[in-house]
Amino acid sequence: MSSAYLYSILATATIFTLLALALNIITGYAGQAMMGIAAFFGIGAYTAAIITTNGGNFLLALLAGMLVSGIFGAVLGVISLRLQADFLAITTIGINFVMVALFNRLKITGGTLGLTIKKPVLFGVKMNNTYFFYMTVILIVVLCLLLGKMRRSWFGMALASINNDPGAARSFGINVSRYQILAFTIGTAVAGLAGGVYAHRMGFISSSDFAFVVSIQAVSMVVIGGLGTLRGPIFGALLITSLPEILRFADDYRELVYGLLLVLMVRFMPEGLIGDDSPVWSALMKLWRKFVPKKKTRADLIAESVEGGR
Amino acid sequence: MFLQQLINALTIGSLYALTAMGATLIYGILGILDIANAGAYLVGAYLGWYIYYGTGSIVLAFLLSMLAVGLLGILLQRAVYSPILAKPHTLSIIPLVAAVGLFTMSSDAVRLICGPNSKAYNLKFPVETLRVGNVVILPAWLMIFALTAVLLVILWFILNKTKLGLAWRATAGDAEIARVCGVNTDTAMALSYILGYGFAAAAGIMTGILYNSITPALGEVPSYKMLAIIVLGGLGNPMGTVVAGLIIGIAEVFLSVYTAIPIPKDAIAFVVLIIMLLVKPDGIMSRKNKV
Amino acid sequence: MEELMRIEGLKMYFGGLKAIDGFDLVINKSETLGIIGPNGAGKTTLFNAICGVYTPTAGKVTFEGREVQGTPAHEMAKMGIARTFQISKPLSGLTIFDNVIAAAGVHEYTGIQSYFHKAHTPEIEDRAEAVIREVGLADVANKKASDVSLGYLRRLEIARALVTQPKLIMLDEPCAGLSNFAINEITELVMRLKEKGQSIVLIEHNLPITMKVCDRITVLSYGKKIAEGTPDEVKNNKQVIEAYLGEEDDG
Repeated sequence: MSSAYLYSILATATIFTLLALALNIITGYAGQAMMGIAAFFGIGAYTAAIITTNGGNFLLALLAGMLVSGIFGAVLGVISLRLQADFLAITTIGINFVMVALFNRLKITGGTLGLTIKKPVLFGVKMNNTYFFYMTVILIVVLCLLLGKMRRSWFGMALASINNDPGAARSFGINVSRYQILAFTIGTAVAGLAGGVYAHRMGFISSSDFAFVVSIQAVSMVVIGGLGTLRGPIFGALLITSLPEILRFADDYRELVYGLLLVLMVRFMPEGLIGDDSPVWSALMKLWRKFVPKKKTRADLIAESVEGGR
Repeated sequence: MFLQQLINALTIGSLYALTAMGATLIYGILGILDIANAGAYLVGAYLGWYIYYGTGSIVLAFLLSMLAVGLLGILLQRAVYSPILAKPHTLSIIPLVAAVGLFTMSSDAVRLICGPNSKAYNLKFPVETLRVGNVVILPAWLMIFALTAVLLVILWFILNKTKLGLAWRATAGDAEIARVCGVNTDTAMALSYILGYGFAAAAGIMTGILYNSITPALGEVPSYKMLAIIVLGGLGNPMGTVVAGLIIGIAEVFLSVYTAIPIPKDAIAFVVLIIMLLVKPDGIMSRKNKV
Repeated sequence: MEELMRIEGLKMYFGGLKAIDGFDLVINKSETLGIIGPNGAGKTTLFNAICGVYTPTAGKVTFEGREVQGTPAHEMAKMGIARTFQISKPLSGLTIFDNVIAAAGVHEYTGIQSYFHKAHTPEIEDRAEAVIREVGLADVANKKASDVSLGYLRRLEIARALVTQPKLIMLDEPCAGLSNFAINEITELVMRLKEKGQSIVLIEHNLPITMKVCDRITVLSYGKKIAEGTPDEVKNNKQVIEAYLGEEDDG
């Protein structure tokens, strides 16, 4: 495998990792059934692409893609407050189809012909797959650090509470609607960022790049890896984007195997391959604990204090 | 012209109603969005084609295909859906992912087994077209109307006049209470799947006859469109689904004929859906008004 | 006695169903007030209408002199009205300790700013630990909420309410479905809170418990108050006896 080819796969894999992490904010952390993340991936992609093809700055274009996608996400968040979980799933699917239809029909998005985007220049260097890979890795690391901080904050506590039981969350002061809208806004903004990077890395985008299938792929990545964890979506994205390479020997059966994998996963391991309660992760943690003893948490100390006293 | 379009719209609408009926029956009992119903629609269309060419009887094609696909439905319910639902704290997105997986599998399996090219039913009717004044009616349309009507009447009869149907309605109302009262909720689930998948198979065959072409991609459009229809119909409400199917059929035909909206025909269902959810978040015919 | 909450002419209709139909009540500071009534009398609906889960159809609720009817549930919690749920609502994926921590953050959930504040600070952890020990959850503090029994979940409900340091705590059938032993423990806990001067409203189906812990009892039947008074007064009230005898299933 040539290194150029490897970097092309890696660039794709990392962009989809970013997209999976974005979806995970909405579905994994806040518990909202988002089935149309590709629409926002597309909004970010087209926004950024339109800006740079009109001579705009690459980094500013990425920011703009993030912003516009986030605004659309916030609007969807406001709408979604009125809907039950299943309605929300279908509405987001619908938004995906409607957006693709618009991308395909509107003049500004290039219609059926799509948009051709010149490879951007960043700090005097013309971006190629290798640079896109490094750039996306940096974005992922920064995002993970920010999300790690989020999970330890009251913001993270609010999302975890809402995800577990919105009624209970309200009873101890959490404005559920506000946090849901925030999760939608942040998640769709990150998806928009991923879209901007995607557009410039591909050099060409058309409406089919943001079809419902892409949303399903993102959902599969998050579910197969493990909803609501940081490692899950990353692992899931890397696995699914490299699956076509792994399954190269069975090229003709790819879709079949892909579908089968999805069914088997949710049937036997709905917590994901390396989700918190999955057998694989539990075993890994057990092994890890043999070398690194678990640091006792405050909760452990409290529990031990009474067990010892009895 | 108007009348011609109306008849055209109603034909398509009743086909939609039948296609979405399976997903409605399944949602009513299991509360899951079963996209794989579109897989049943596809597999039904192909099975029907093989049986028709094997036996030369379209009646047999309908009956055997519906039965086989219905049984396949029960198998999937037992092997996949019920075990997933039995696990505690299942997110609503999890069964949906299973359904997407099953649908992907079925489309690809059909492509691998039956080949990627389209097949034609080439069903011969005694007359080519019927003419009533200015209005042209294809015999296939009449067949679709008649069959849909018959199937819906059978469904209505089963749900409202039989013990099985009582179990179904009780379970759809409140599964917990139904179980406590001694209703066999398992039977209700099986009924949903055999009827649901069977109806989808019939709808698949009718579509194949109407457009005289079936391909492995046949299920793609219905897979999402039926979701819009079942939501419009109030999720789990069979009557609402019929109304919603007709509305979408009419909206598609008339919006694409009489207006210049920049939305392709197949996305119209979702535009109607999104507008409707903004106005009335419970669906047009919501059965339960939750307090 | 100082007044804490006043409810006047509260109505809660669902379509044609009059779940609460003109209800008046005064709750005083440091008082333990019981609300009893046959099944379906509207007790939980009353809680939901007071705590902001539902918006009342009509009526006035005053808390510490402020009109609060129709205020959303999360605002009510911030004002110092904490409630428990009859059907426990644990955060199943979190430990018992984190369940209590989550509730301890009642004043921290300010939106985007809450991103910049760490949840597990020593002060918050101390507060959570104190409450966990108070209600008897210490031995399961590190267990996931999905792995503990109903008795613990009921106590978790109380712990989450207490850790918000409420001015008024509203308990919705904290003893329902528990063993006699567990009921005694909960009753003792309520008595201890009462001694500390906590203002309590208690919905309870179990009459002996209500009689034992409450200073005053209000009887609700078909959405209306049919009696109110000290436990002894209520016990001998003819209407109350009828309402209860008229009910087949006395769980």
